[in-house]
Amino acid sequence: MLNNNSQIEEEINSRSGPRESRKPRGRLLPFLYLLPSALLLFVFMIVPIGYTFYLSFFNWNLIAPTKEFVGLQNYINVFTDPTNQKVILNTLVYIILLVALNFILPYFISLIVNFFIGKMKGPYKILFFIPSLFSLVVGAMLFSWILNPVSGPLALFLRDFGLKVPQWTNSGAMAIVVICLITNWKVFGYNFILLLTGLGAVPKNILDAAALDGIPKWRVIWNIVLPLNKGVAIYVLILTIVEGLQYVFTPINVITQGGPYYGSSNLLYHTYLNAFVLYKTGNASALATVTFVIFLILLFVEIKFVEGRKQNAD
Amino acid sequence: MLTEKRNLGWHVLLILIILAIMLPVLFMISNSFKTLQESYHSILQLIPAKPTLTNYVTLNKQINLFRMVANTFLMAMIVTLGKVLTGLLAAYAFQNFHFKGKRVVYFIFVATIFVPFTTVMIPNYLVIAKMNLLNNVIGVALPQMCDATGIMLFVKAMEKIPTSLVESAKIDGIPNRKIFMNLIVPLLKPNIISVGAIFFINSWNEYVWPTLVLKDKNSFTLPLALQNYISSEGGTNFPLAMALAVIMIVPPLLIYMVFQKYILNSISSSGLK
Repeated sequence: MLNNNSQIEEEINSRSGPRESRKPRGRLLPFLYLLPSALLLFVFMIVPIGYTFYLSFFNWNLIAPTKEFVGLQNYINVFTDPTNQKVILNTLVYIILLVALNFILPYFISLIVNFFIGKMKGPYKILFFIPSLFSLVVGAMLFSWILNPVSGPLALFLRDFGLKVPQWTNSGAMAIVVICLITNWKVFGYNFILLLTGLGAVPKNILDAAALDGIPKWRVIWNIVLPLNKGVAIYVLILTIVEGLQYVFTPINVITQGGPYYGSSNLLYHTYLNAFVLYKTGNASALATVTFVIFLILLFVEIKFVEGRKQNAD
Repeated sequence: MLTEKRNLGWHVLLILIILAIMLPVLFMISNSFKTLQESYHSILQLIPAKPTLTNYVTLNKQINLFRMVANTFLMAMIVTLGKVLTGLLAAYAFQNFHFKGKRVVYFIFVATIFVPFTTVMIPNYLVIAKMNLLNNVIGVALPQMCDATGIMLFVKAMEKIPTSLVESAKIDGIPNRKIFMNLIVPLLKPNIISVGAIFFINSWNEYVWPTLVLKDKNSFTLPLALQNYISSEGGTNFPLAMALAVIMIVPPLLIYMVFQKYILNSISSSGLK
């Protein structure tokens, strides 16, 4: 069946191919369709990546007419400057928290909904997704209200038990936790749906056979379902890190501006701070390039696992 | 019987999660209809005792609310139309033409989704500034339009259209422009609606580009206006900020209520290869 189709396709291609390419306009036609997207990507993506890389070798303040060439100094700074080191360490903390909150937690819940809930999947999907519709600025506002140490509802509730909400904006570690919780509020439902869809694709008969053999459900999930769903899971895991590190930018900028003393900053926020607040364009560009390389590595991990799975499925 | 009981426990857990997610939003809506004093004294009362529109009136006096809604709507509309149109055209090229290096070009296009905004932020700011588009709706929309997500989603949707359909139209000598307009676009209508809805909501909520490009208060979009009402020192007038937030969440909620099924299907398919 598949063979047949591709034969027909080849035949059609060989028939329509030459006719199309005989006219010069026909050969250019696909590029005409690609032109608008290609132009946008070229101007706002490809050239900027190159230009940021170029800027990373200079000292500049975004405004001055001249740039001072400093070689690799900005890159050396990325790894030796104590503030940058702190920010890199914070980025790792962010990644760990984001993975726990935005990947492991929704994965656990999607397993429960898929295997332990008979009906009602629909309503849970619909309701979990709602915060994904809202701006992270709204999320930042809501969490700074709930966790307000003086007048917030949590503080008033805890007061009855003689407890206090700590001044969490004065502690980098606590601020990072709250900022990650804000993104969790937003992306939990989104990731839940992606993971649930992946679980839905696991063949039912495998599960039924395992159930007939009396193998406990959690064992089946651990030994059969999780390996089968690896492709989707790794895709969501990478997405959680790549998008999560960009999502946290908004609550950081709204609530802490990276403070106290860069305690809640990360690689991406620090890049922004260097570029548009401190006007250290060279430092910012070196940080941006390092971030780019890290994301590129994550992209290749994604390709290796997810695209590999696709080929196996074919 | 035993499994029934166990299910109940899981349902309780899931309902608790829904409450944790939704209660803040419900309290936000409720508090936006309370005075500052009432919101403080009856903080955990979900239904306001004396609902009032004070916050919305005050808000409208303090900022040009209509203008900010219009700014945000216009920006989101331009971004959505731009992304849907360029995405459809590019997806058609990838799906229905054969040209040298197609796979490589497609890979590069889709790979750009992984590029963090910080890597392109400085040059893009400089370009927008040079084009004299700071504080301008086009200036804030253009960098947002550069996003290959639409191309990827539309290619996935077009893969489901039988190739024979397009090929036979080509053999009949129908020009590509007509195949695109009269065959592909109508067939993809549900995908266009859902992808467009997702794009609109994302751009409506967009924060990063507006922060960089819009400095003049008259050009502000709603997320920037809301940010101005949140003070890190704790002196925030929350009922006022919540009124603005309620205005912000209404359009995405309405879109979701109408196109919920399409949107969730599109999200699901984006994760599957």
